Amino acid sequence: MTKLKLIAAIPVACLLSACAVGPDKSRDTGLFDRKSLSQLQAGIWVDPNGCDHWIIDDGLEGYLSQRLDKYGKPVCSGSAPPTVATGDFKGGSPLFDPV
Amino acid sequence: MVGGLAAAALALLVFTDAGLAQQGQRIVKGEVYQPGIWVDPDGCEHWVMDDGAEGYMTPHVTRQGIPVCRTANLCGTVNTDQYFATDSARLGHSARQNLANFFASTGAVSYTIVGHTDSRASDEYNMDLSLRRANAVASVARSTGARIADVRGMGERAPKASNNTAAGMAANRRVEILCWR
Repeated sequence: MTKLKLIAAIPVACLLSACAVGPDKSRDTGLFDRKSLSQLQAGIWVDPNGCDHWIIDDGLEGYLSQRLDKYGKPVCSGSAPPTVATGDFKGGSPLFDPV
Repeated sequence: MVGGLAAAALALLVFTDAGLAQQGQRIVKGEVYQPGIWVDPDGCEHWVMDDGAEGYMTPHVTRQGIPVCRTANLCGTVNTDQYFATDSARLGHSARQNLANFFASTGAVSYTIVGHTDSRASDEYNMDLSLRRANAVASVARSTGARIADVRGMGERAPKASNNTAAGMAANRRVEILCWR
């Protein structure tokens, strides 16, 4: 899909589904990749302090959430340098994402 | 489309407590955002919402700030009765060897080492002893080339069993090893 076509597709997705999401926000109701949000694929983004966050690029939506240990402290695993994102976090959606 | 916009104008009645409810209800203008749950690769839950083009996520923690997890991300527990003498933070030769083998065979990206005690002796003493024992384990890990993410002593403040029984106290005397992949 070319960049131009994708940009044209966004308002269509909005018209048909995205602008009319009900109170249940637990599902991706988009045209391209309808699914329960429990199936998201995460990578790790390391913040400037060196601590880990789960990062998910799910096509139109992006998610970021802190990685915590069992005591609630940040996990700073050193798996990548600060400000680097690693892992297959763009792999969860069939929707081509140019950015 | 119109149905979606109407949902945005939904108003909720909130009763904060019996006293307030008697004086009158407080009207909150808001919109219901019912989240789903995503379980991260460590086994811990996150609240997740998809609002069309936007996505939102935040860790699911208790009111005490403790993450809600389906699996315990704990890959090793050192029984301190076997590895340390009473009130001591010194590891013997065979204990060091066992730990070195553990770290060499586990091969995680890094480790968090957390020491714990039972509830005997003072809180201050237990905080210090648990940290010294955690540091002893961490130094063996470093000697094998393992990366240490954090070393902490929690003393008697995070028991995993009751301190009212001998078996419970024994279970609480431990050093936990969290492995990060």
